[in-house]
Amino acid sequence: MRRPGARAVWALHLAVILLLLGLQVVVPPFHQIMLARIMVLAVYAIGYNVLLGYAGLMSLGHAMLFASGMYATGLTILYFGVGAGAAFGLGVLASAVMATALGLVTLRASRVSFLIVTMMFSQAFYLATLYFNEITMGDQGFIISGQLAPLRAGGREFAFSDPAVKYNLALVVFALCLMLSVWLTRSPIGRVLVGVRENEERTRLLGYNPLSYKLLALIASGTIAGASGSLYTLMFSYVGSSFASILYSIYPLLWTLLGGTGTTLGPLLGTALMTYVVDIASGLTSSYLLLVGATLLILIMWFPAGVMGGIRTRWARWLP
Amino acid sequence: MTRLLETTGLSKTFDGLEAVRRVDFRLETGEIRAIIGPNGAGKTTLVSMISGRISPTSGRVLFKGKDVTGLRAWDRVALGIVYTFQVTSIFKNLTVFENVALAAQRRLMTGALSRLTLPQRTLAEHVQAALAQVGLPDAGDRHAGSLPYGHQKLLEVAMALALKPELLILDEPTQGLAPEEIAALSRLIRALSRGVTMLLIEHNMAVVLELATKVTVMDKGDILAEGTPSEVEAHPDVQKVYLGL
Repeated sequence: MRRPGARAVWALHLAVILLLLGLQVVVPPFHQIMLARIMVLAVYAIGYNVLLGYAGLMSLGHAMLFASGMYATGLTILYFGVGAGAAFGLGVLASAVMATALGLVTLRASRVSFLIVTMMFSQAFYLATLYFNEITMGDQGFIISGQLAPLRAGGREFAFSDPAVKYNLALVVFALCLMLSVWLTRSPIGRVLVGVRENEERTRLLGYNPLSYKLLALIASGTIAGASGSLYTLMFSYVGSSFASILYSIYPLLWTLLGGTGTTLGPLLGTALMTYVVDIASGLTSSYLLLVGATLLILIMWFPAGVMGGIRTRWARWLP
Repeated sequence: MTRLLETTGLSKTFDGLEAVRRVDFRLETGEIRAIIGPNGAGKTTLVSMISGRISPTSGRVLFKGKDVTGLRAWDRVALGIVYTFQVTSIFKNLTVFENVALAAQRRLMTGALSRLTLPQRTLAEHVQAALAQVGLPDAGDRHAGSLPYGHQKLLEVAMALALKPELLILDEPTQGLAPEEIAALSRLIRALSRGVTMLLIEHNMAVVLELATKVTVMDKGDILAEGTPSEVEAHPDVQKVYLGL
């Protein structure tokens, strides 16, 4: 009764998912792969946004959680030949465990120190993937397409190399994570997280232990990030150290900031914008990063709270 | 009357400075107790140890006969010890409804499932009841930061009420309010005291004399005197220390 937008909110998110479902029959194959990639990376951004947007914690260590999902999935397929479903489950589990461990250590710190400490752990993880290169093949990485059996459902086989399979797998995981994030932000837990972000001391005196809620947010965030990494491995068949590097901690931060922190659709929008801006700019000039930077600056000048954040404050206050 | 709260030998030392010295403090159910005293007397430090915001250097806090000294602030809230801040502390960027809902849902979150989802209608009823009690029934959709200062104080009280306190600690509730707002808040405190034991730190002597059933005077970390408002007013030490006579 107090939130008249409840139905509208769910309808909007459902519409976005249906739009993505329909797009695959319209767009040319190149863009189909682009969109599949955007969706799986948007899952990563959704996970990142749970922590940054709702608990107010900025991490530079998410590459470790993303790559944990990747390595757990990739290595178990490479060495033990496990099926795609089980490997995905292991990837999600591994990142959940890593996120819990990371949280128990780093959540003693806050603000800038949290940023730095998470980055340190992530860098240590990155260096470990290089150090154990006999297992991980380090920088060079490895390809799993030879070991990966196609998915079987209803007597039919779905090969991961098929663009339509990639697209729809990404869509399913994206849709689940998007709905999960919408529901989380509207749940009692989500309200406490916003309380912690806005005024931690007051939240404590309202009867909540901020640390346990932050840990919960970090575990949820890291698990979603790991699901993204794991799916990315299944879709593109490649695992390498570069996915554990600092760059992959910065990407989700940029996508989230660009799309709008603390908005449910911001991560998708930010990821899509960034991916297409990079794609278009690199087609125009070899110094495309200059163009990307200029575009980002212009967007941030117009939308300091990110695109969805700007839309929310200007036109649609009911957006979650 | 039954004993609601008791502290024994409660002390707090900040960098060698004794803010509160071995204080034995008792509070009965149903009282409106005022703590008065000059700045630096240790009033806020004492109630902060009662609410669990800070932990004592030594001594114990008993609530309804149970030792709560080792409990953190959030667990004491669950027991019914609720503190409102001296400097108004609300969520300025959120709506009034969300401010109170965060408090109200604490009482409704009893099992694992209720952390994940709560019936919106029940929550809204609790929020509305708390807002109506403080006289802000129509403010739900407003941004908390846009409320006038007096209403922000009332919102803070509504948040406290939504927590269903047994002991409500108000730290200088009338500070910064206009005379008519003070009168309204006094009426509210008196009305609420029928269901909730009140512990207030207050500088406004008129409010203390009008509201309090008992007054505790603190000075330099000690309890100097205790009694009915008229007893305390007549106490020679109190006149010397507090009223500057």
